[in-house]
Formats: sequence, C-alpha cells, structure tokens
Amino acid sequence: MRLYEYEAKKVFDGMGIPVPKQYDVIHSSSEIEKMEIKFPVMLKSMVLVGGRGKAGGIKKVSGKEEAKSVLEKLFKTKIRGYPVEAVLVEEAVNGDSACYIGITMNPGTYNNVVIVSSSGGVDIEKVAEEKPEAIFKKEIPENNKLLPEITAGELVSFLNKDLNLDAGTEKKLADVISKLYNTYQRFDSKICEINPLIITPEGPVAADAKIVLDDNALFRQNELLKILGISGKRHDISEPTKNEKIAQSSNFPYVDLLPENAMKEKDKLYVGLVPGGAGYGILSIDEVSNIGKRYFGGRVVPVNFMDSGGDPPQERVSKMFHLLMDYPIIDLIITSRFGGISSCDVFIRGLIQAMRERHEKGLRVVPVYGRMVGTDLPSAKAFLEKAKNETPDALKEMSIIVGNQKIMADVIKDGIESAFESRGWKR
Amino acid sequence: MKTISPEKGMLFYIIKKIRPRLAERIKEAGKIETVVVGLGGQGTRHAGLMQDFGTTITAGIAPGRGGTTILETIPVYDNMKECLKEHPNIAVASIWRHYSTAKNAALEVIESGIPVIVLITEGIPLRDVRDIIVSARKHKTLLIGGNTPGVIFPPEGIKVGMLPDVFYPEEASSDSFGPKGVTVISRSGAILYHMSDALSSAGIAQNAVIGVGGDGATGSTFLDLVPLAMGYENTDIVVIAGEIGGCQEEVLANDMIQHPEKYPKPVVAILSGANAPEGKTMGHAGAIVTPGQEYGTFESKKKALEKAGIKVVNSQHGLIEAVKSKLGGKTYFEVNHYYDKMRTIWESPPKKPVWGTLITKVEPNNLVISGYPLRQIIEKKGFLETMSLLVNGEFPDENTLDELRKTVFHALSIPGPNIKFGEEDISKSIAKCLLTDEYLARFPDVLPVKKAAFCTGRVARYLGMILKTENTLGKVDENKPFSHVLYRVITGKKNVNEKHARMLEAIMVASVDHGVTPPSAQATIIAASTRASYEVAVANGVSAITDVHGGAGAKAAVFFRECVSKSKKENITLSESTKEIIKDYVSKGRRIEGMGHRIHTMDPRRDVLWGLADQAGVASECVNVSKTVSSIFKQVRGMELPINVDGVIGAVVADMGLEPSIAKALFIYGRIAGLSAHYFEETTTQPQMRRINFSEAVYKGKEERKIHG
Repeated sequence: MRLYEYEAKKVFDGMGIPVPKQYDVIHSSSEIEKMEIKFPVMLKSMVLVGGRGKAGGIKKVSGKEEAKSVLEKLFKTKIRGYPVEAVLVEEAVNGDSACYIGITMNPGTYNNVVIVSSSGGVDIEKVAEEKPEAIFKKEIPENNKLLPEITAGELVSFLNKDLNLDAGTEKKLADVISKLYNTYQRFDSKICEINPLIITPEGPVAADAKIVLDDNALFRQNELLKILGISGKRHDISEPTKNEKIAQSSNFPYVDLLPENAMKEKDKLYVGLVPGGAGYGILSIDEVSNIGKRYFGGRVVPVNFMDSGGDPPQERVSKMFHLLMDYPIIDLIITSRFGGISSCDVFIRGLIQAMRERHEKGLRVVPVYGRMVGTDLPSAKAFLEKAKNETPDALKEMSIIVGNQKIMADVIKDGIESAFESRGWKR
Repeated sequence: MKTISPEKGMLFYIIKKIRPRLAERIKEAGKIETVVVGLGGQGTRHAGLMQDFGTTITAGIAPGRGGTTILETIPVYDNMKECLKEHPNIAVASIWRHYSTAKNAALEVIESGIPVIVLITEGIPLRDVRDIIVSARKHKTLLIGGNTPGVIFPPEGIKVGMLPDVFYPEEASSDSFGPKGVTVISRSGAILYHMSDALSSAGIAQNAVIGVGGDGATGSTFLDLVPLAMGYENTDIVVIAGEIGGCQEEVLANDMIQHPEKYPKPVVAILSGANAPEGKTMGHAGAIVTPGQEYGTFESKKKALEKAGIKVVNSQHGLIEAVKSKLGGKTYFEVNHYYDKMRTIWESPPKKPVWGTLITKVEPNNLVISGYPLRQIIEKKGFLETMSLLVNGEFPDENTLDELRKTVFHALSIPGPNIKFGEEDISKSIAKCLLTDEYLARFPDVLPVKKAAFCTGRVARYLGMILKTENTLGKVDENKPFSHVLYRVITGKKNVNEKHARMLEAIMVASVDHGVTPPSAQATIIAASTRASYEVAVANGVSAITDVHGGAGAKAAVFFRECVSKSKKENITLSESTKEIIKDYVSKGRRIEGMGHRIHTMDPRRDVLWGLADQAGVASECVNVSKTVSSIFKQVRGMELPINVDGVIGAVVADMGLEPSIAKALFIYGRIAGLSAHYFEETTTQPQMRRINFSEAVYKGKEERKIHG
C-alpha cells in the first residue's frame, strides 16, 4: 500500500527525519485564503503516481493570489489520468545541493538495498541509465533491523565526493540515511525513498517522501495506521472498478481487464474466467486470448483476472459466478478447478448454488464451460450427478467435465466453439 | 506399480548434497522421514493426505501439544529439538503455521538442521521472510516457499505439501516406475497442475514437481532450483513456469549466459501474463507489473529467456510441442495408463470419513484390547494391569504395577467427600462423589495411568461409603493385592476369601470396555472433546450407566434367584422353574435381562467367566440356570437368544450370595477404566470440540497378539 506524500512525511517526522513545515492538505482552492502562510510555498498534488512534477502537479508560489489561481487550475487537472482531489501546502525549501536516498528489497537477491545518488530530484531510473556512476547501491544481506554505522559512513562518503559537505552536515546526512533505513524496517515497508533530499544550511531536509508498505504486514502495523487515520488496506494507484469492489468485499482478488463501461463489440465473444489459483488465473487469460487468435480470428476477449484463494468456502465460489453473470458484457464463463488445497466438492456446490439461485430468481444465466480434477473429485462427481437429476433446468447452461480426459486448453477451445455455434458464428 | 526406492530419487540426491551424513543414515533406514510443523486444520488434514500418498510422516510439531498425537498414531512434540532427539533421521519439514507465527517456526526448523523445508504459509511479511532466508542461507537449507503448494516426487511416491495426486512418473517396466523424466518448477501451484497434466497427456513423465511459491520473496528461485534439478542424473529437461512480476526469470537467464556449465540440459519456459494490465496485483503478491521498471514484464522476461537460448511458450499446447521437440519424440509411458490412473481416482467412491481409536476392537464374538483378546485378559490379568493396558496400550512391568497399586492404596486411604446419598441409582451416587472429590480433582494428570489408578482407589472409597462397608477399608494391609480391597468393600467382610476376591476382580475386568459406541463411552468422549476435566468426563460416562445401559446384570441376578427359589419352593427341577418363569415374563411382556447382544451371538466373555466361577467354587444353581437358559428360552419362544456377559455376571453375583445391585457396582467400577482410557485418548489424539460421529470410528490399534505365560 502506497502512502500519500503528506502521510509519508508524517512518518518521517515521527522518526526524526527533517521534513519541510507542512501547512495543511486542502481539498478546494478557497481553503488557502484563511491559512496563515509564510511564502513561498509548494503546492503539491496528492495523487499516488510518480512523475507529478513533470506532469505539472507540483508548483511553487510566492503569494496568496498566485496560490489561488494555481490551485484552481490544479483541482481541474488530471495527472496520468487521476484527478487531483487534494493538495499539500508546504514550506518551500532552498538548498545548495540535493541527493537521492532510497531503500528497497533487491528482487533478485531478496536483500535490502540502500541506493544513494548525488543527483537528487530527478528520475532515479533515468540516472541509472544515463549516469550510472552517480549511483551507489549497498546491499544489506543480514536483514539488520538498524543500519550498521559503517555502512551509513560508506554511503555518505560516496555522496560527499560530489557534495563536499562539512563534517557537521555529513554527520546529519548519515543520520538521515540510518533513520530512513530504520523506518523502512520498523514499518514493514517495501520502499522508503527521499527524492530529493535537499541540503540546506541547517542540514538535510526531505523535500519529497515515498513509502510503500508491505500489505502482508499491515496486520501488525496498527500503530502506524492509527497515526495515518486509516483502518486497513487502501487501494493503490487506481480506484477499483465496481466489480473489483464487489470482489474485495467478498474477499477474493479480481481485476477487470477492460475499462469500466467498455463498449461491447458485436462480433466478439467476451469470456469471463473463474480459474482457481492465481497463477492459472494469469495464464488462462493468455490461453483464452491465444486460442481466440489461433482458431477464432481474434474475436475472443478475456474479461477478467480472478483468484479464489486457497480452499475457498462454498459461499465465495458462488459469489464468483454471480459476479460474472451480473456483468452484462460477459457471454461465456470458462472455469477450472484443479483441486490441490481446494476441494472440487466445495467448488461444484458453489457453482450449482449460483446456477440454482439465478434460475429461481429469473436472473441472467451465462453458459459455464469447464473442468474439475483433483481433491474430493469422487464426492464432487456424485454431487454433480445428483444435482443434474434434481434440477436439470437450472443447470442446463452448465457443462462441467469431470476428470482430465481433455487438457484445459482444449476445454477452453470447446467452450468458445459451442458459444460461436450457438450464435451461428463461423470460426 | 512399484515406486522406486528413495535413495534413487531426486529428493535423496538433494538431501545428500546438503547433509551427506544424514543421507547415509537414510540409506540405511531405507526411508525419508518428514515432519509436519503446525497442526491446525490444514496441517492436520494434509498430513493425512501426504501419508495416504506414501510420504513417511514421522512426527508433528505444535507448541503446547507435546505428548499428543495426530492421525491417532503420529507423535506430536512441542518443538523440533525434542522431536529430533527421538527421530534424528528426519530430513524434510513442511510448515503450515499462520503467517503471523510462521517466522519463528521456520527459524526453529532451519536452525535444527533439517536440510529440506517446504514453507506452505502464504502472506508472511517480507521482513520476516528475509529473516527466514538469511537463516536458511547460513544453514545451507533448501527452503522452498512460502506460499508454495509444495513438492512432489512421483517416482518415489513422496509428497510434501498439498499438491493433488495428478502427476505421472516414467514406467521402467510393466510393474515398476522409473526415475527419469522432466522436472517441472513453477511459481504458481495451479499452473504446476495444468502443466503436468498437459505433459502427462502427451506421455511425458515428471520426476519432480516443485512449487517455487507466489509471495514477493521466496527461499528458493529458478536460479537455485534449475541447476539443482539438472544436477540430478535422471532429469532430462527442466520446465519452468514463470509469470509477471519480480525478476527471477531474468536472473536465471543472465546466469545461464554467464555460467553455461551449470546448465547442461535443455530448459523450456512457459510464461504467464502476456495480457496483464500494469499496476494491478494479480493474486500473487509478486505478480504485478510495476510501471516504469525495466524488469518484471512479460516482454522483459521473454526477451531475457530467449537471449539465454530458452524456448518460451505461452500456452499448454505450446508447452507440449516444445517439450516433445526437445525430447525428440521420446515418451515415458502409455498415455492411457495416466488416464486410467486418473479415472480410478475420480471413479472410486467418495472416501468414508473415519477416525481411529487404539483402545478396543469390537467384532462379533471378539473383543480385543490393544491387541490382546479380552477373554485371555480376564483369565490371566488383574484389573490394574488391564487398566494400564487400556490407558497406555501395554501391560505394566512389575515395578510400575507395584507403583500403581500403591497409588490405589494411597487414594483409598483418604476420606471420601462429605455427601449424602438418596434413594438413587448407584451410578448417580458414584458420579456425585467423582464431581465433588477435591482430592481427585487436584491429582495431576500428567501421567494418565497414574490418575486412573488414583481414581480407582477413590472409587473404592466411594463404594465403601455407598455400600456402607467403609469400615473394612480401615486396616487394609498395603502389601495385599487390589482384589482384597475389592472383596472387602463389596462384601463388607474383612476376612478375604482369595478365590472369591479373584472372581470379583475378573468380573470387573470383563466389564472394562466395549469400544467407543456404548452410551457411557460416548458421554465421556463428548465431554473430553470439550476438554472438560478428567473427573467430570468420567462422571458423565458413569451417569449414563442406568437401568437401560449397564444395569442388566442386576436384573439378571434377580431373575436367576427367582428361578432358583421357585424350584425350591415348588420342589420342581431348575429347568422346569426356569421355563415357568420365562413363560410368566413373556406373558407379562417383561424383558429377560442378560440375554441377547447387539453384536455378539456368543459373548466372548461368557465361557471364561463360567470357567472362573467353577474354579473359584462359586458356581452353583444360578450359574447352572445361566448355562441352560438360552435353550429353555428357545423351547418357549422358538428363537435364539444367547446369554450375554451381564447374564453371566448376574448369575455369578447371585450364586455368591451378593445383592443383585452389586452386579451393577462391579460393572461401573470396571468400566471406569475404559472411560479413563477414552478420556485420555480423546484429549491427546483429537482436536477439541470436533464433530464426532461414533459410527465412523475404526480400530487402528495394535494387531491381535497373545498373552504369553
């Protein structure tokens, strides 16, 4: 979960990392009038995407009138597609030089790595590309809770080659690096970053702040969440779609692949997926797309990513099917249950529950095509056969292959084929 | 089909690489032992499934549950150290703990020196994962996961984790598997199944299937696992299943270019996520395309892998084609055999749920306690030995027996609780005593058999109070056998008739247990499942012994006495009087108690009790009636109704000149041993407050054996 800049600065401030004076976070341009401010100040758009400066989301103003007119514009701006709904008003910091400090985990070695660069205030990826010698990376292979002093010293000496700091400032800089590392570890962060860290005559000040928290550790970061005034995980960059919100409330991961309210193209088949397992959830999207290209002239559109999570309860399985059948764009649902930890029995009961509920209430039923293999298959098969006898009408749009005479790719192909046939479409 | 021997498989190869000396010991033992860490619902369930698959589960670890068992027989330890003391050959651990406690559990297992660890737990905080990885690196542990479905080695028939049984090994001959095949290594669980399924459907065997794990950081990555799999001589090709996010595909590709010597065999890669949108996490914490990063995308991975000469595919069919072409058309088995195997799995009827008891096997005409036939026990063993067998599974040695006897004597020397008895069933009186006895409540139950012995002594005291024979307990010589106490308290006489004492004890032994289905046992087990205290659970069982259950002996005694007294009064033969009384009972619609049994047609306790009664010289007219009553009944009613143990006990009690109610007192006293055993079994082998279906119980105890000497 990514924090807003003002939240991250609150965290830094609490950890003793100097930050500029923050006046307030405002939600309309008129709010600036009553504020007591010493100009110049920075007006910073609070959106959770990078490159705000370049996109015109950060402005320096030196008076109230100017501030007001800039704010009016800001609140009408979209930054990389995201509207500006809040603006941070903050003291403008001046300094002789600026640098970059970032801490994250190296995804290749899983060690923590502290990255510093004397080129502050610019895109660090760009520096890495254009001026790699300006970057110094130090891996911390022991996952220490606190940054070893000697390492902090090493990092500062590197920076000092360009910055030429006096001994006092050098010490303060080492202190900031150590504190940033401690923040990273203490609050279970995935990224802690200051860019730029401005070196003022009084010492270094974090002019920007970025913290991305580890979602898996939020359960033990109550104290932090309390300081920030949030109760749990918040969405990251983008607002979740309507479907994504429904899925969230039922506790399963779901991602829409199409924009909300996408226009349906008439000659294309829209396929919803209930795949079972996150990895296969990703692959089945590719399978549907590949099979569509290879056999059906590219007229097949996968619609969603979904993951039931390990061992989902029956109610959740049923909700997964309801969600897709309530989504008007969907023409066909492909499903697969390869029961490892998850039970085929619970899966088929959930699916049949959804089919029956929709049949009873007269809700739209989308054909379901799929296969189940694995844990609890015998009891799942017994249940399926009994259910088909009991309520043949409710289940007539459901075609589930028991066992693996056919690999899933062929089941997907058959499903699309039958949907094409029922529409009188040719391949 | 026969699996290959463990030391020929890849798992052994890995263990040998990490811990050569442990591998030597495993070779000698001929099996690879595993331990299950974390015994919640999931861990326990999959321990059973792993065992069914063929994995040797030697032990379980759950703090606070040391001394108990899972799956009835697998011992549980509080920690790894204690476990390894008993089982030093354990080489593989699977960890099923919750993400909030997984770190400490994993560190403990790593530090114990186990070479291969499968960390199933999903969603462990990254900071904790890094601590785990640091320790695993230090100890040279092969750590797989977290968030892995586990590993499976089809040729050896070993599974560690929760993969379904869908993988198929090479067929070396018509009746045995071989070690060769393709090794599949995947970041995702479900993809593993789908890839193996695709390969099997083309006759391509998997000699190992490894789930890397889907979290943001894992103990092992492709970089560790691909060269490891290639080092094993029987791996022909390695298939990796990668997905968007992270950079382990890129890191592997880079290493293959830098160190080609580490990669002597072909690799085929299937990649997922060609259609994934930016910035959205796809289920796995690691599976996210981060905008602006030069790694982690489908394209970056494909490019890197292809640069390293790896064939990259994006579908099941693509995978089949690529692997087939690398193998030059070679197949490892008849595809139909794979389908047949799968079909037998899904066509077999649903497995009936069962749970096990190790105490008593109940079969028609046969009762076996921990392997020993009860008829033999009645003949050769005393009550305390039998109680010990019930609770501990074995007879005690002489010293232990003596200690138990002393415990009994100590317990009965303490005054009983101060309560009043009304006109009430004796079971209620005993239950009242059990529930109010502070001495019993306070006696520690660390050693179950000692607690049961203490209870035995206390019940002697209660019986003394209830039967008003307490004065006989005053000067019991502590060196005398238990039967003396029994004799005194039952008869109220201080001069012990050895033979009669032994007879009474035999009646108690005959009553000790009848499996988990009698209502008294059920009542005790249900209380035990809620973790009620010992005396409460036993009192529950005793309270359920009523006129309907366990009261037949007393009524039978009354019946036999009637037969005898009618014969004397009317000067007719015993069979005549018996016939008359049966007719009378039948005409009044009264049941003749002590006859018929829901399971036994020839009660296994009958003959031995008759024999002992003869030997003790107590068998007289009532016993004689009991021997003929079945055939007389048949003359009257035309149907077989065999005499049962209650009938025999009733007859013996009547012939000994004791009150009929003594038959019930002896039954309850004996049954307390069985109830104690069920209490301790439930609390140490089953999860608390489980749903109990008593008809699902099966005997999983010792094989039938004989008492020697």
